[in-house]
Amino acid sequence: MTTKQQLISESPYKPVLAKITEYVRETHDSFTIKLDWKIHHQPGQFVFCSLPGIGEAPISICSHSDEYIELNIREVGNVTKKLGQLKVGDELLVRGPYGRAYPMRDFEGNNIIIIGGGCGVAPLKGSIEFIEQYRNKFRDVSLFFGFRTPDDTLFRKRMDVWKEKFNMHVSFDKVAEPSKACYDGSQGFVTQKVNELVGDNTNTVVFICGPPIMIEKTSEILLNKGFKEEQIFVSAERLMYCGMGKCGRCMIHGRYTCLDGAVFRYDELKDYKDD
Amino acid sequence: MSQQYVLKKENFNNFVEKVMADYDFIAPVKAKKNILRSKSLYQKISNPEDIFLDDHSYHTVKGFFNDPREKLFDFDGNKIINPVIELRQRVFFGLRKCDLNGIWHQDMVFLDNKHQCDPFYKARRDVSVLIGLHCNNGFEHCFCNSLDLRSDFHDLMFFDKNNDFIIEVGSDKGRKIIEIASDFLEQGDNLLTEEDRKIKNMGHELKTTNIKKFYHHEDWKTKGADKCLACGACNMLCPNCHCFTIEDDVDFSLKKGTRIRKPAPCQLKHFTRVAGDHIFRQDKTARFKHRIYHQLQYFQDRHDVQFCTGCGRCIAGCPARIDWIEIINNME
Amino acid sequence: MTEEKKETTETGKPKVAFHDITGCQGCVLSVIFNEDELLDIINAVDIKEFRFIMGEKYDGPLDICFIEGAVVNKEDEEMVKKLRERSKVVVALGACATHGNIPSLKNWADPKNLERLQYQKKHEQMIDVPNPMPITKFIKVEYSLPGCPPDRDEIKKFVKEILLGKQFYSYPDPVCRECRLFENGCLLDEGKVCLGPITRGGCRAVCCHNGFECYGCRGITDDAQFEEYFKLMEEKGIDATTVKKHMETFAGVEINEALEKIQEGKWAKLH
Repeated sequence: MTTKQQLISESPYKPVLAKITEYVRETHDSFTIKLDWKIHHQPGQFVFCSLPGIGEAPISICSHSDEYIELNIREVGNVTKKLGQLKVGDELLVRGPYGRAYPMRDFEGNNIIIIGGGCGVAPLKGSIEFIEQYRNKFRDVSLFFGFRTPDDTLFRKRMDVWKEKFNMHVSFDKVAEPSKACYDGSQGFVTQKVNELVGDNTNTVVFICGPPIMIEKTSEILLNKGFKEEQIFVSAERLMYCGMGKCGRCMIHGRYTCLDGAVFRYDELKDYKDD
Repeated sequence: MSQQYVLKKENFNNFVEKVMADYDFIAPVKAKKNILRSKSLYQKISNPEDIFLDDHSYHTVKGFFNDPREKLFDFDGNKIINPVIELRQRVFFGLRKCDLNGIWHQDMVFLDNKHQCDPFYKARRDVSVLIGLHCNNGFEHCFCNSLDLRSDFHDLMFFDKNNDFIIEVGSDKGRKIIEIASDFLEQGDNLLTEEDRKIKNMGHELKTTNIKKFYHHEDWKTKGADKCLACGACNMLCPNCHCFTIEDDVDFSLKKGTRIRKPAPCQLKHFTRVAGDHIFRQDKTARFKHRIYHQLQYFQDRHDVQFCTGCGRCIAGCPARIDWIEIINNME
Repeated sequence: MTEEKKETTETGKPKVAFHDITGCQGCVLSVIFNEDELLDIINAVDIKEFRFIMGEKYDGPLDICFIEGAVVNKEDEEMVKKLRERSKVVVALGACATHGNIPSLKNWADPKNLERLQYQKKHEQMIDVPNPMPITKFIKVEYSLPGCPPDRDEIKKFVKEILLGKQFYSYPDPVCRECRLFENGCLLDEGKVCLGPITRGGCRAVCCHNGFECYGCRGITDDAQFEEYFKLMEEKGIDATTVKKHMETFAGVEINEALEKIQEGKWAKLH
């Protein structure tokens, strides 16, 4: 009996090469890269970025185009810190896209409210770009963004454009005195603005992404205002390794963040946010 | 109807030797004393005398299907080098109902074409023939009668009846083994009664698998997690637990290396640690509940079958013997 | 956690030294015992001092300094403090440096008994040795590579990750994980005082694999369940003092500190 050697040439774990075509430093600990990777994706999906020898990290896509992919990355771990040291022209390994997207097509004809906090603005940017591309399919679109300080603002150039197109409100938790950065927004938590300005819930859906506490408080306010749980879409993220429901690491009360998320309808997760 | 064959027990060793000529033969053996202390585990054997069938194996066969250090690929800088895995045709003998169902559950996870089939698992699975052995009697911690398990997931199934083994064929892979060893087999019909197909004297009974309503019950903490040493033994011994971690290993050139997949137990604190050192299931009770709910509820919600196969290895192998069956049975 | 910048010199390689204070030198030997890859290690870094393989002395600045051994006297203390000043990164190598190990057993021994144990051959004079402590009690260390001796593969992994500029995380899981992975049975079931469940693994459960219970040479995990462990031992009829003695063998300093914080120090007081 002989030993057979089998070459595994097709594997879902195998990444492909992508080149960085643009690099923008957003804040002291985050940056945005544009990759020449042409892959069809939907708002809210994510990809895995890896550097051989360093490791792999899931990153949400923050653009909507079949020609390229943009990723906004915050430098927190080994992989993301190393990614931050790359420059235009450098290559990295990517695989994906994974995850359930925002069901944008289902919301056509609706008002959309998008609420983002800190680096949670990044995954929402894809859906905003989608709305920009199909602007006439959606009715009123409001954006609420919260950042810690004006220096932490992401996508400054895009913000200037969005300000013209949508009802945009930016708030900062703290504004240093005197502020160095030129900013356009108010002081306070994003929840305050939401509380003040969001009213009617008819034909409206809400996307929320940000730190867990911000998601919780914002949803609470919206529910008090009469929004239904089915109208609210939140993001939840966990540690993940495979992106295809095999590694079991991202499970939240039986739901895989990689297959059933990272976008969840509020009622799917409400009781198990901490699990 | 599936065919049946009779193998006289006196011919069993001949049967094994015959099969061994064409396949690697993996069966439960009694471990060498200093390694496992008289418990049994699955190993490749070369002598049929080594096969030990009196006990339920302490360790499972899952390591044969998912290598504990599975090489996903090699890399040299940004160049990906496809991995080569070595495979030999092999027969697993003596798999109990729980082991077989465990493999079936792994199939659901790793051979799921909707969410990308895992080529490593598939390759190892394709070269494997599964020969089951029916348990006439249960063991101390077993409770498989309380769960909905399949009894037709096997290539061959052995039933121990008096002086014979009655063999049932479950697939073409199994039929091939029958052909190889036909000299020692006699064909038969309706050799098994309903009684023969039962597993009697099971040590344990799980009263309900519907534990949704118990999620906030105190007992998970007081009777379970408060005794838990958070060692992860239950995960490592479970025939189903498949969670893993992926790591890069490089050589001293720092360019060449391998991406490796390793098993990860969910009872350990670092299972849910994310960059920035946040841990989601910091609380031991949450981890304990996660394991039990995955076994009885989460998998069922997704695949319509309980994950747990009732082997009781997680109880038998727990240093603190946390008997979660009793915990659930006493919940109201 | 400290932010790690790649430590480099003019040659592009970090300057590294291996030093040892009071100890058995087994840990530096476990660096040398990487026969197949020793040359790779030597080539990957710029070794400035390593008295086991080279005669040169060096007293300039260092990028990474590995220190083996426990601090048992003033000289040791001064030495580690000097090394600290010269080094960007200090790595405590082995159980003596990280946890005090066998030398630190003296901290819990009965002084009268100690004299007898130390001087069975009836020495005239008693040498005054203060309480041996891990180097971590005297200086800040960036990384710890515990174990008696430390795992060779872990040393290599550490060097590579530092060279790659990664943050190194030592193996966080208990010994039991690897013990089951290597298909062992449980020594606790046999009534042995195995410290596997509370001890940091990464050693491939080498002791348990060979039928010898774990003595905790790699220190405790950050999730060590002491209360549950003592309770389990009590159920098995093993009294807390025996368990405590067992725990003090290798990582006594760390374990006693941890025990101080639980159950009002009930177990920390046991001797």
